[in-house]
Amino acid sequence: MPRFLLSAVLGAALALGAQAALAQEKKARKKAAAKEPAAVVAAAPQEVVGDAKAAHDRKIAMCVGCHGIPGYKTAFPDVYHVPKIAGQQPAYLVAALKAYKSGERSHPSMRGIAASLSDQDMADLAAYYGTPAK
Amino acid sequence: MNRILVVFLMLFVAGAVHARGKADSGKKKAEQVCVACHGVDGNKPSTPDQPVLAGQHYDYLVRALTDYKNGRRTNPIMKAFAAQLSKQDIEDLAAWFSMQKSLLHDQR
Repeated sequence: MPRFLLSAVLGAALALGAQAALAQEKKARKKAAAKEPAAVVAAAPQEVVGDAKAAHDRKIAMCVGCHGIPGYKTAFPDVYHVPKIAGQQPAYLVAALKAYKSGERSHPSMRGIAASLSDQDMADLAAYYGTPAK
Repeated sequence: MNRILVVFLMLFVAGAVHARGKADSGKKKAEQVCVACHGVDGNKPSTPDQPVLAGQHYDYLVRALTDYKNGRRTNPIMKAFAAQLSKQDIEDLAAWFSMQKSLLHDQR
């Protein structure tokens, strides 16, 4: 009989403890849920904002050797003028860089360069070179 | 002697710029095929991620369209449009677009 009582008390204590733990977890979850929308808003500008100055100061060195020379032509694998990128649409410049990075576009030099660029780098370069068309 | 060389050089450059495409045929083709997304003169992209074609280099435009046509570039929309263009069409369009004015430039 005392043994039964003991286990009952223990059981009750455990149950209470578990309930308390559950309640705490729920609270924590609620808090997290309440925070989430704000976090999403902060992280969501799916568009990375480009910084033209960052591109100018640190990133265009890899572009100007070809795109900064008027009339410059590719040397490999075929010879043709490298495209004019200054004054192009910024979002197109990003799309083109991503296509080189993913392999949708095959030019070897551009694939190599684009592979080294983060989304932020691409946005910065697009902000530097691009001009949105009206 | 130098003068003659310069004249030859200018003729050569002029020849390279005008190349083979016929701009007036290119304009007609652009009115049928390209206008909805790029504008007739290649200066009015319908969405921000489409390129300005006006003022782009002739040989780059030929190259890009040819790559779309033969699948070296895999953009599904451009593949469909480029597939219906002949080599002559591509050169005509490149001649037309490359001659149009735009903000595109080489240097900065």
